[in-house]
Amino acid sequence: MNELVKQQWLIPFLPLVAAAVQALLPRTARKLSAGICLTAMGASCVLALRAFVGTLGHHEAERAVWNFVWFDYGTTRLELGFILDPMTAAMALMVAFVGFWIFVNATGYMSDDENFTRFFCFLSLFAAAMLGLVVANNLLMLFMCWELVGLCSYLLIGFWHFKPSAAAAMKKAFITTRIGDVGFFLGILLLSWQAGTLNLYDGGNGALEQAGALAGIPGWFGWSMATTIAMLLFIGAMGKSAQFPLHVWLPDAMEGPTPVSALIHAATMVAAGVFMVGRMFALFAADTSGLALNIVMWVGCFTALFSATIAVAQFDIKRVLAYSTCSQLGFMMMALGAGGLAPGQFHLLTHAFFKALLFLGSGCVIIGTHHEQDMRKMGGLRKYMPVTFGCYLIGMLALAGVPPFAGFWSKDEVLLVAFQRNKLAWGLATFAAFLTAFYMTRQMFMVFAGKWRGHHEPHEVPWNMWLPIAVLSVFAVGLGFFGAQYGHYLGAHGEDPHGKWIVMGLSVAVGAAGILLGWIVYGRRTMEHADEPDPLAVKLGALFTCLNRKWYVDEFYDATIIRATMLLGELWRAFDKLVIDGILHGIAWMAWGVSQVVRWVGDEFFINGGFDAGCESVRLSGREFAKFQAGRIQGYLRILCLGTVILLVIWYLK
Amino acid sequence: MSVAYAPIVRALGSETALVLVALAVLTLDFIIGRKREVAKRRELVGAVALFGLALSAVPLVGQVGMTNVLLPGETLVVNPLVIIFKFVLIVLTAVTVLISIDHDIGTHVGEYFAMLLFGAIGMLLLVGTEEFLTIFVALELTSISLYVLTAFHKNSLRSQEAALKYFLFGAIATAFLLFGLSYIYGLTGATNLRDIGAALAKKGTDPLLGVGLLCVLVGLGFKVAMVPFHLWAPDAYEGAPTPVTAFIATGSKVASFFVLVKVLMVAFAGAVGSAYWGAFESGWAMVLGLTATASMVLGNCAAIVQRNVKRLLAYSSIAHAGYILVGLVAASSTGATAVLFYVIVYAITNLGAFGVVAALASRAGGDDLEHFNGMAKRAPFLSLLMLVFVLSLAGIPPLGGFFGKFYLFAAAVECDAEMFGLLWLVALGIVMSAVSLYYYLVLMKHMYVLPAKDETRIATPGHLKMALAFCAAGVVLLGVFPEPILALLKALVVRL
Repeated sequence: MNELVKQQWLIPFLPLVAAAVQALLPRTARKLSAGICLTAMGASCVLALRAFVGTLGHHEAERAVWNFVWFDYGTTRLELGFILDPMTAAMALMVAFVGFWIFVNATGYMSDDENFTRFFCFLSLFAAAMLGLVVANNLLMLFMCWELVGLCSYLLIGFWHFKPSAAAAMKKAFITTRIGDVGFFLGILLLSWQAGTLNLYDGGNGALEQAGALAGIPGWFGWSMATTIAMLLFIGAMGKSAQFPLHVWLPDAMEGPTPVSALIHAATMVAAGVFMVGRMFALFAADTSGLALNIVMWVGCFTALFSATIAVAQFDIKRVLAYSTCSQLGFMMMALGAGGLAPGQFHLLTHAFFKALLFLGSGCVIIGTHHEQDMRKMGGLRKYMPVTFGCYLIGMLALAGVPPFAGFWSKDEVLLVAFQRNKLAWGLATFAAFLTAFYMTRQMFMVFAGKWRGHHEPHEVPWNMWLPIAVLSVFAVGLGFFGAQYGHYLGAHGEDPHGKWIVMGLSVAVGAAGILLGWIVYGRRTMEHADEPDPLAVKLGALFTCLNRKWYVDEFYDATIIRATMLLGELWRAFDKLVIDGILHGIAWMAWGVSQVVRWVGDEFFINGGFDAGCESVRLSGREFAKFQAGRIQGYLRILCLGTVILLVIWYLK
Repeated sequence: MSVAYAPIVRALGSETALVLVALAVLTLDFIIGRKREVAKRRELVGAVALFGLALSAVPLVGQVGMTNVLLPGETLVVNPLVIIFKFVLIVLTAVTVLISIDHDIGTHVGEYFAMLLFGAIGMLLLVGTEEFLTIFVALELTSISLYVLTAFHKNSLRSQEAALKYFLFGAIATAFLLFGLSYIYGLTGATNLRDIGAALAKKGTDPLLGVGLLCVLVGLGFKVAMVPFHLWAPDAYEGAPTPVTAFIATGSKVASFFVLVKVLMVAFAGAVGSAYWGAFESGWAMVLGLTATASMVLGNCAAIVQRNVKRLLAYSSIAHAGYILVGLVAASSTGATAVLFYVIVYAITNLGAFGVVAALASRAGGDDLEHFNGMAKRAPFLSLLMLVFVLSLAGIPPLGGFFGKFYLFAAAVECDAEMFGLLWLVALGIVMSAVSLYYYLVLMKHMYVLPAKDETRIATPGHLKMALAFCAAGVVLLGVFPEPILALLKALVVRL
């Protein structure tokens, strides 16, 4: 492990190089671009696998770190570093592996796009940043990668920036996550100030190793310092992982190309927030009052339920998945907050596989149906796209939590720790799990069952699009067994089995109930026409509309925060125009004036033979002055001597 | 007194090699060059000069083990810091040679390269001594070589005029220097830096010291082109053949700043004075504080109105001399480290920038801003490199120029931790950096935005591209990962 950690830097470095190379490629080099990208990602994947195998026999708290000085100045020393422990290794492998297959899928999805190379450049950069975030043993480096991830997300959501909705979505994602980043950055500053270092682990001096001491120092709002910092960091995680109330950007982010949705908004980037909370878990758990963890748990729990209700009433195939992602991230947060580091991270891993599978599957559906995203205009695709259907079904069952698929095992663990921590949170989460099963069943029936309601005949997608989802579906089935087998790997050993059977039984029951209800509402009689009303809408009425409009959160933000910001903006604009501009222009004119004088005196007179030009203007000042200018080099020397004399005078007068 | 010659020969290895190669270059061109084409001669002779420079780096490797060897009277000094700077100078000269091979320097090819090597020898000697007479001789050797090189465009009136101005100005500045040295000698009875420092410490302040020290500052201030001893620079930079300009702006600057740091920190450590706001105290820090102010303001403001790229870069280099002086005013070892680091970064950056100008101007028909219109289309690679150099000069992270400037300013803030006495200088530096962004971006506008009259591609030879790409890589590397070289300099400066 100690040797392996020194090679961790290569994992993000390879995609980074790939991105740099592709930035320089001409637009026509599509094959080369894809080749470079896949090679780099594949190599990273192999390296991550090697690191993963290297950690397999080790205990979860065993870690190797490698820090080095980036630069130092005076007493301030900035270090960067890499870490290798089971959590890192598993996460890096997941990102590299899922990323690789998404890249493969993207070669098919983007095959008609003229900016193919640019797309792959961004994708590689994104993968590099995400991998860098995972292997960083330093909050500064983590933050830099975090921001890069945000930037790439911005660039990729708005990849089709000629669409106004995409341009709006890219801005929304960037600004919303930036609100969270302010908190994150404040947290980093506070931590750096209090702990004196940003290294996470550093042989006893790292920031996380001082978490216990930080819990003893009073911080803000009457909290301990550890809790204060943890809360600030959590604000960042809320933005990145789309937790309520900063969740609004994620569904809109579906404007990007579907592989982007799969990579960023399902498998990896949104996982960064959860991962960061997991990484900083020692800080969250440092305070014995458990306040920080409770807040994390309730935010997660509420998001899980809230988003699941919205997902029930969406018609866009990707939006259903987007809200489902929000909801699942809520599950992960809740698990972390309930003190279950291992269940949270485990659910993160399994979810990445089956959500990437679902998103790529939806991408296949969209391509197969000639860029149709409205589920009402689909139907009967099982006949036309059998491979996609099979894989999608596996993904859906995994998400719905049906045993023995991966999602069942991890969700079960999540619910178990919630049960042990707080019965109410567990109850709400179980209800969210029920909704999950229901809305996924709804989606399956609307998309794949019944008869085709669209215009053009759908078709199956090429191999480079379905192969990735086929590969991912293998993991969506099998990963749960890995968790059951290697539960201790992420730290789930010695778990208290109290309530295990109740939780498991109920979780299976609500999953089955959700699917059953889905079948009753949507499966018994499938839709005939695209403009037929949704059967659920008929039953629920106004509530359905409310859910469809996402509880009017966007409208609420528009009416309050955005309007207030606009007003403030207008105010500042006026201030800017009247006061700041005045000062600024004044300074600019002064600088211009000085430079003109310097040119006039220095250049025109003494240097540029300004004798001719200069003479005209100084003739009136007298012949003597003109004579003084006549010899140019003599002028220089006079200034030299004059300067020396002035300096001498100052010297002796002082 | 018996003298041990073996260490002297060893310490002078690089210089000896360069003398021999310079003579060989002259002879070679004389014997076999006359009948060949000029371009071929440049290639041939340049290759020999390059070989000689590579050869001259070899003795440095052998000197690495010598921690602090002082030869009689400290006329020759060998220590790691000296070795580093000799190496930097050799690299800078080598890149200059590479740029020159591609440039029209008239028919006196052998003489040109020989003078270049003689100049380099002067710089190496300047770096490797701690004794005023040797400093003076080395300074003269450097300066005279550069005067001759400046005049190398024999048919261009501008070149002749520039050389004459440079020479006259330099001669007067040298007279000041010598005059000052005579005072210093009179006061202390010593010519080597450490003895002067010790004698001044014993003696306390003396009114005559002011005259002596100021006159020395005039002589060295001329070399580093600080206001008000800068007047030669714009003319010389513009008139000289561009590779020579590059050499004046980089190699000569590096050596001069190195010797300035050494002289002030070692010999005149007792006459620092203070440039703290509201607490001015006579001494070199005060003088440099004032000249730094003048250099930053005048250099940047005058650069705004220039229409000629070389002249623009000349004023920019005056401004940069001002920034570097800010680090010196701090009068601390961190300040000295920052100065030495920045000088290296600055030299590599400027060498690259002038290299690009040299390569493009001759093919674009001139070196005014208009001639660079649309360069990004005509010579995309060199334009990209120029972008790197210019952004580094403007101090944009993560390039070397940013970190260099950061260290300079940080050293100035840090040196008075309670009152922040130098904050005024730093604030001015930052404001002036903002001003500088304007003219750097104007240059970029001409290269990247404005359309060219003539859209034909400009082809440049591979060796030139490689040399300039090497400079750009250095600029990026020093910015992204400054720690190794910085730590090295810091450890060595403490023992200055």
